[in-house]
Amino acid sequence: MNSMSGATTSSAVKEAKRVKKGRITGSFGMTVLAYSITLLIMFPFLWMILLSFKSNSEILNNPFSLPETLSFDNYERALATLNMGLLYTNTFIIAAITIVIEVLITFMSSYALTRMVFRSERLRQSVTAFLLAGLAIPAFILLFPVYRLTLSFGLLNTYASLIIPYIATSISFNTLLFTGFLRGFPREVEEAAIIDGTGLLTLGRSVVFPIIMPVVATVFIFNMLYIWNEFPFAVTLISNETMTTISLGISQFKGRFNIDYGGIIAASTLLIIPQLVFFAVFQRFIIEGMTAGAVKG
Amino acid sequence: MIWLSKRRYILFMLIPTLLVYLGYIIMPVLISFYYSLTEYTGIGAARFIGLDNFSRLWQDSLFWISLKNTLIVLAVALLLLLPGSFLLALLLNVKVKGGNAVKALNFAPSIVAPILVGLIWVFILDPQMGMINVILTKLGLGRFALSWIGGKTLTPYSIGIVFTWQMIGFLATIFLAGLKMIPRDVYESSSIDGAGKLQQMLRITIPMLNETVKINVILIITGVFKIFETVLLLTNGGPNHLSEVMVTYMYNVTFTSGEYGYGMSIATVTFLLTLIFSLIYMSLSRKSIEE
Repeated sequence: MNSMSGATTSSAVKEAKRVKKGRITGSFGMTVLAYSITLLIMFPFLWMILLSFKSNSEILNNPFSLPETLSFDNYERALATLNMGLLYTNTFIIAAITIVIEVLITFMSSYALTRMVFRSERLRQSVTAFLLAGLAIPAFILLFPVYRLTLSFGLLNTYASLIIPYIATSISFNTLLFTGFLRGFPREVEEAAIIDGTGLLTLGRSVVFPIIMPVVATVFIFNMLYIWNEFPFAVTLISNETMTTISLGISQFKGRFNIDYGGIIAASTLLIIPQLVFFAVFQRFIIEGMTAGAVKG
Repeated sequence: MIWLSKRRYILFMLIPTLLVYLGYIIMPVLISFYYSLTEYTGIGAARFIGLDNFSRLWQDSLFWISLKNTLIVLAVALLLLLPGSFLLALLLNVKVKGGNAVKALNFAPSIVAPILVGLIWVFILDPQMGMINVILTKLGLGRFALSWIGGKTLTPYSIGIVFTWQMIGFLATIFLAGLKMIPRDVYESSSIDGAGKLQQMLRITIPMLNETVKINVILIITGVFKIFETVLLLTNGGPNHLSEVMVTYMYNVTFTSGEYGYGMSIATVTFLLTLIFSLIYMSLSRKSIEE
C-alpha cells in the first residue's frame, strides 16, 4: 500500500462520518445497555415506590405483584404519624440561616485572600492552606467536642446548635470554590471602581458580589443539599422532638412505625421525592459542586 | 488593591471565618486528641492516662472487628466500585438518546440522604422481608437465602454493595470528566498507526486517566472510613457488635457507653488512618490545580 496518502484519506473519511454522527455515536446495543444499567441503579427507588402502595400483608407475602388496589393508606398513615411540616420547617430554617451567614463570611475571607495585599505573600498562602485543610477533617472526630462546646454554651436543642457547626464545616469547601473563582477573574473592574472612590463595603456589595453570582449559586445549592442530608451532628445535638430535622426524623421511622413497613416506605417516599426534584432542577450546580470539591480539593 | 489593603480591613474580612473555623474545627480536633489521652465519663474532670486508651484499643477485639469490617467494605469498593464506575463512565461517554437524563439518573443515589439509603436497603437486604430472600425463596432457592445483614459474616460485604450503589454515578462522573480531557487526536493518530480498540484502552485511555484514578481511589478510601448512617440503619452494629465499622463503634463507645476518652482514641486512630490517605490526596490535587 502506498501508505501515507491512503491512510490519511481513509481516516479523513472515517473522521467525517464520525463528526456527522456526533461524538462517538452508540449502537443500538450500547443504548440498550446504558438504559438497562440505569434501570438497575434506579431499581431500589422503583422498588420503594412499588411497595409504598401495598398493604403490610402484601409486602410480606406477595411483594412482587403489582398492588391489588392503588391504595394510599400507607401515605395517610405516614402523614398522620409524621409531622412533615415540622421536619421541613426546622431543616429549612437552619439551612437558610446557615447558608446566608456562611456565604457572607467565606466570601469576605476569600476576597481578602485573593485580592488584598498582605504584608507577606507567605502569610497569605498559609492562611489559605490552613482554611483548606478542613477538607481532610471528617465530621465524626468533631462530634463529641462540638457536643461539649454546645453543652457549655447552653445551646443544645436550639437551631444555633446545628447552625454553627454547619457554618464551620462549610468553610473549607466554600473557600476552595470562592478563591478558585476569584483568582481566575480579572480585577480591572474592581480597580476602576476603587479609583472612582468606591469604599470597601459598596465595592463588595455592588461590584464583586454580582460578578461571583454563578459560584454563589453552586455554593448555595451544594450546602443546601448537605444540610438536608446531614445526620451525625443532628443526632448528637438534638434530642428535643420539636427540633427534629429531616434526617433525624427518618432515623426514627423504624421505632415510630414499629413493624408498619408500609408506613416506613411511604414516609421515606414522601421525603425522597422532593429531594429528587431538587436534584433534577439543580443537577448542574450539584454535580459541579461535588466534582469540583473532589477534583480540586 | 493596595489602597483598600489596610491591616484593619484585612482583619475585618478574615476574622469572622477564622473565628468559626478555629472554634468549631481546629479546636475540636485538638480537644479530641486531648480526650483520647484521658479517662472521661462526663462526670467530674477528665483524668489524664497517657496512652492507656491506645493500648486498650490494641487488645480490644471489637475494635479489630470494626477495623476488619471497614477494610472488607474498602476491598469490596476497590474491586467492584472502582472498575464499575470506570465502565459506567465509558458507557456514559458514548452518545445515546437521552444521555443527559441517563447521567443524572445514575448520579441520583449519591445525593440521597445516607440515612434514607440505609432505610431503602433494609427492604432489599433484610433476611426475613427483604427482596433478595423473598425472590430466592419463591424460586425454591431458599438455601441461598442468607443473612445478608444482621448475621455473623455478610454485613460488611452488603455495606460494600450499598456503598457502591451510592457512589458509582458520582465516581463515573469524575471518570467522565477525565475521559473528556484526553485529546481526540491521540486516538486518531493511534488508529492511523493501526492500534485496535483494546490497545487504545490499555495504552492510551487508562494511562492518561492516571490522575483521575488516584482521585477516585482516595475518594473511596476517605468515603469508606466515614461510613456511618447506612450501618446504623441496617444493623446498628449488631448482633453483638459483629458488624460495627470504625465510626459506628466510635459512636457507640462514646455516646451509648459514655466512655468519652476511649471513644476519642478510636476517633483519633480512624482519623489518622484516613489522614495518611488524605495527604496523598492533597498532594495530587495540588498538581491538578497547577495544571
